[in-house]
Amino acid sequence: MEDWRISEHPILKFERGRELTIYFDGKPLKAYENETVAAALYASGVRVFSRSIKYHSPRGFFCAIGRCNSCMMEVDGVPNVKTCVVRVGDGMRVKLQRSFTDKLAPLLNRMKLSPLTYIKMFTRPSFIYKPAMKVMRQFTGIGSLPKRVRGEVGKKGDEELSAELLIVGAGPAGLSAAIEAGQLCKNVILVDDKDRLGGQLIKQTHTFFSDVKYAAGKRGFKLGEEMVGKILKMKSVRVFTNTSALAYYPQENLMLMLKGNDTLLKVRAKKYLIATGAYERMLVFENNDLPGVYGAGGVQTLLNVYGIKPGRHGLMVGTGNVGLIVTYHLLQAGVNMKAIMAPSFRRIRGYFVHAAKVTRLGVPIITRHTILKALGRDRVEGAIIIKIDEKYNPIPGTEKKIDCDFICLGIGLNPTYDLVQMFKPKIVYAPQLGGFVPVRDKYYRVKKNVYISGDCAGIEEATTAVLEGGVAGLHAVISMGYEDEVAWAKIEEYKRALEEERASPFSSAVKAALKEITIENIEDIGG
Amino acid sequence: MAEEELGPLHRGYYKTEELKQLGVFPPEGIMKKNRIAVIECMEEMPCNPCAYICPVKAIRKEALCKPPSVDWKKCTGCTLCVSICPGLAIFCQQIVKEKGYVTMPYELLPSPHIGERALLLNRSGKVVGEGKIIKPTYKANGNAYPLWVVTVEVPWPELAYEVRAIKIIR
Repeated sequence: MEDWRISEHPILKFERGRELTIYFDGKPLKAYENETVAAALYASGVRVFSRSIKYHSPRGFFCAIGRCNSCMMEVDGVPNVKTCVVRVGDGMRVKLQRSFTDKLAPLLNRMKLSPLTYIKMFTRPSFIYKPAMKVMRQFTGIGSLPKRVRGEVGKKGDEELSAELLIVGAGPAGLSAAIEAGQLCKNVILVDDKDRLGGQLIKQTHTFFSDVKYAAGKRGFKLGEEMVGKILKMKSVRVFTNTSALAYYPQENLMLMLKGNDTLLKVRAKKYLIATGAYERMLVFENNDLPGVYGAGGVQTLLNVYGIKPGRHGLMVGTGNVGLIVTYHLLQAGVNMKAIMAPSFRRIRGYFVHAAKVTRLGVPIITRHTILKALGRDRVEGAIIIKIDEKYNPIPGTEKKIDCDFICLGIGLNPTYDLVQMFKPKIVYAPQLGGFVPVRDKYYRVKKNVYISGDCAGIEEATTAVLEGGVAGLHAVISMGYEDEVAWAKIEEYKRALEEERASPFSSAVKAALKEITIENIEDIGG
Repeated sequence: MAEEELGPLHRGYYKTEELKQLGVFPPEGIMKKNRIAVIECMEEMPCNPCAYICPVKAIRKEALCKPPSVDWKKCTGCTLCVSICPGLAIFCQQIVKEKGYVTMPYELLPSPHIGERALLLNRSGKVVGEGKIIKPTYKANGNAYPLWVVTVEVPWPELAYEVRAIKIIR
């Protein structure tokens, strides 16, 4: 069996840990202890991870950060486990969630009798619904709950904690906020739903731009390591990894979280700082759900965290910085990149120097084109691209076929605003900032006791996220009475640095949008 | 219908003539005397490690977001800026006895060795010749993780204006 793991890398050394065996549909597969289930399966050549509920079309790896749900499988008897965020264990049994309709699906679909449609039937008379559901669930392939499970799922009970500042999200913004706040106040809690701190920094192998005073000249993952190192030394910051913030209850001032798979965590804090980052956008084109169409972030995780090649020949969609940088990462790992393409009409969307890095290694950049469809039956075998006119309409007759075994989408991010909206801030749509974002004051406060920073406040760079986190973290502790002249001076310094970072023409749209949604006093809108 | 020619910001690279017009290259006389930094960074973007690391203050940035400029009289060709530039946009060029020399950052495999032959690639990734690696150094500047800074000998001086990447022949 082919091993897709990278044995040698120009920048990284992969610490995979001990070799283990897992069983995929009964067959033994090699895995390493630091890999997730999805990564181990991918490395062994598994490409179809699940099937869609309605049409049973194959679903593959996509986001790799537990958001997209297309990697759900049965793990040790438990159905619907997101395999991209679960570590492997020795002897783990992983199963595809099949149903006997999988093979019939194409026929049923043609007859407009897809299994999910059945579920909407049999609702009258009412007594027939329950038994009918039981049978119909078998058709959908969404697994069934086990009678008994290994381990102690849900048996440990609750844990109640209180904090002065609760920070959700340990990416660049959350880490920076925790470092600043932890120096002044005694009781900060930092939670993240991954098993490692650092957010997306852990997979940034390139050197960052910006001012040398902050992050410039450092490789992203190194910056993350440094920040995490500082936090782990601070006694005032308690860290919870593998902990998802589920909901906020305003009446009780309570944040409900799930720690690991087995403990409910209830946290009451004086101030909250939400730095939940962003998630990747999907693009609409024919066959965009084929396994082999991946998010750029997912590919980066495979490559730079687990050291696994996503394929042999790739096509990148998107000429923004993410698209250009991930292409460079793929080249470093020895993947042949066929082209970078995007509709970009005026110019390449990212920085020119990032584009120059990949063109000099022979990857053509094709602007003013769009992707028409992905080719292949149950995995990507190619793509058709087409030229567009000034109004972004495809020009018939200009189709081109590109042979590739994966298509990587680097077409932008949406702010993850679902947790912050539970605090009921005023949320507006700002396309320049990536989507829906809350209105805030100049200290990134969206409510009297709630702050935001980083990508969930508007899509920007990691370096601006670090600065924003600093401002928000410091202001949160100052407003609790830890008055400190040094802290105020630091806030002013960070705000000045943010101004400077945003002074390039690249940031002019972002700057204008930020100006529009930043108000003087947050209490004016019911803060 | 003839394809219209799209500019550098669509292609992802400048042609050598375009860069010459922009005044990126130092006069030939200076390159014959010394190794000189050539910075191919024309855009306004927030970045300043090159100006910070230059030991002789030959690289100047008016503001964080203004593109850098090199004072060719001061530059000593130390290659520190080559290794720290996050955009991998700084190179060094030199002309000695009818041969050209280009120093460039290298973050790929295989690791280079002295004397090895390499295919020379221009800014668009086209192979324009074959050269010899004369000096590979593994540099860790300050905070950055190490990367290779490789000097290659190119067969004739004009080629030094073209070559921006290598593919080691092994």
